[in-house]
Amino acid sequence: MDTDLLSDTFVDLADTMVADFDIIDFLHLLTDRSVLLLAAAAAGVVLADPRGELRVAAASSQEAGLLELFQLQNDQGPCLECFRTGRPVTAADLAGPGQRWPRFAHAAVQSGFRTVEALPMRLRDQVIGALNLFRAEPGPFDPADLRIAQALADVATIGLLHERNVRRTETVAEQLQSALNSRVVIEQAKGKLAERLSIDMDRSFNMLRDYARNTNQRLTDVARAFVDGATADFPPPARRRSPR
Amino acid sequence: MARPDVPVTNSRTLIVWGWLAAHAAAHGRHVSVADVCAVAVSSARLGGAWLAAARGGEPDFVMGVTDLVSEQLAELQLTMGEGPCHDVLTSAAPVLAADLGDEEFSRRWPAFTPAARQLGAEAVFAVPLIVGAIRAGVLGLYRSSPGPLPDRQFGDLLILADVATVMLLGSAPGGAAVDDGAGLDGQAPDLALHRAEIDQATGMLTVQLGVPAAEAFARLRAYAYAQDRRLADVAGDIVARRLRLHRDRGQDGGP
Repeated sequence: MDTDLLSDTFVDLADTMVADFDIIDFLHLLTDRSVLLLAAAAAGVVLADPRGELRVAAASSQEAGLLELFQLQNDQGPCLECFRTGRPVTAADLAGPGQRWPRFAHAAVQSGFRTVEALPMRLRDQVIGALNLFRAEPGPFDPADLRIAQALADVATIGLLHERNVRRTETVAEQLQSALNSRVVIEQAKGKLAERLSIDMDRSFNMLRDYARNTNQRLTDVARAFVDGATADFPPPARRRSPR
Repeated sequence: MARPDVPVTNSRTLIVWGWLAAHAAAHGRHVSVADVCAVAVSSARLGGAWLAAARGGEPDFVMGVTDLVSEQLAELQLTMGEGPCHDVLTSAAPVLAADLGDEEFSRRWPAFTPAARQLGAEAVFAVPLIVGAIRAGVLGLYRSSPGPLPDRQFGDLLILADVATVMLLGSAPGGAAVDDGAGLDGQAPDLALHRAEIDQATGMLTVQLGVPAAEAFARLRAYAYAQDRRLADVAGDIVARRLRLHRDRGQDGGP
């Protein structure tokens, strides 16, 4: 483990938690750093929506195969088991025989993943989500890495609550819905910007995030204002790429 | 392309829709706001419910109430300009005030809280009727005794809110009544598991059609319904640029 990167990661996460904190921006940073720190191929934070659905709050990649793997786990898979048991869940070789979750394992291997881990996001006795990690090589995660991974999952939980007084147990449920809706706002903004400038979704997201950071605004607020048509100086007038 | 083994529908959603359909049928009508309010009350064993449409991000006019107390609670908030309904639209998050006697709520709503308790409400739960940046309204409920809303009932309330949102947006003002299958003919609306592509496609359509997000969302649903295709699949095609929609509906289809 790159201990400098580890230190930097916790410093960066802590920094993001001060003014202009945005939960989706924060979770995005967390999944990106999880991939680097844990030598993972992909990572995602999945939240348990009381509607009865596992919803992706942030993922290290928007690749369709990966997102489908999160959705498949509504039926079977490590995240579902993690929610139910409140304990970390591992599968160290998804290509072998006798899989616990055959459909999930098959889809994961098709996407190039051989190992999966789900770490619970816990608050007291409630499991509100999971940090889901995938690796391309078979074999278990290093126990030291898993301790860091659990710490990152715990940081994700703290981020979700973010300075809210958790005196009322309802606060968690309220904050979770707020986070899920923030993601929707950001996805709507991504689509609008991508279409407006004829760019791809990744670039669109980066533009939104950079503009938010440069103007000291929350990513969700920028996204909402942009969707509402209320941002006079964004996107900045630039050379338009020729439409596809 | 949706793979057949990827779950597309949440089974709880189908159960809740079943309640709505049964309630509507018992009253000889298609599912409406009145059914959403009634089922919200009975499924969570609460005192009453009200539903208000939003305008400019604020609760505006009341579209449904189940009883007098709910009507008064709704009107109180509109008159006072404060209360859970305002908060949920500002924060885009539910408010679960399980005990109005908690000092937090006297601080948050110094005028509303005592007035609400005078009317007999000791717990108030409000959920926004929203899809991302699209704010359609708010659904509020009260109970005459304090106490939390159990997780299962909260989940059902969120599902009911989704149905109500689709209904309100299906007849978005400024965009005529759009037949998007939101129960207009008794069919369950497409409330499949959430996909980011649906939201991205909504954003893209605001540009393709030159309309606000609410209308873009309604048009997306209407197209999927008219083509008898899953919303997620249509959204996927739009995001992948295999499909464009046009201001003139006659030109819809193709990249």
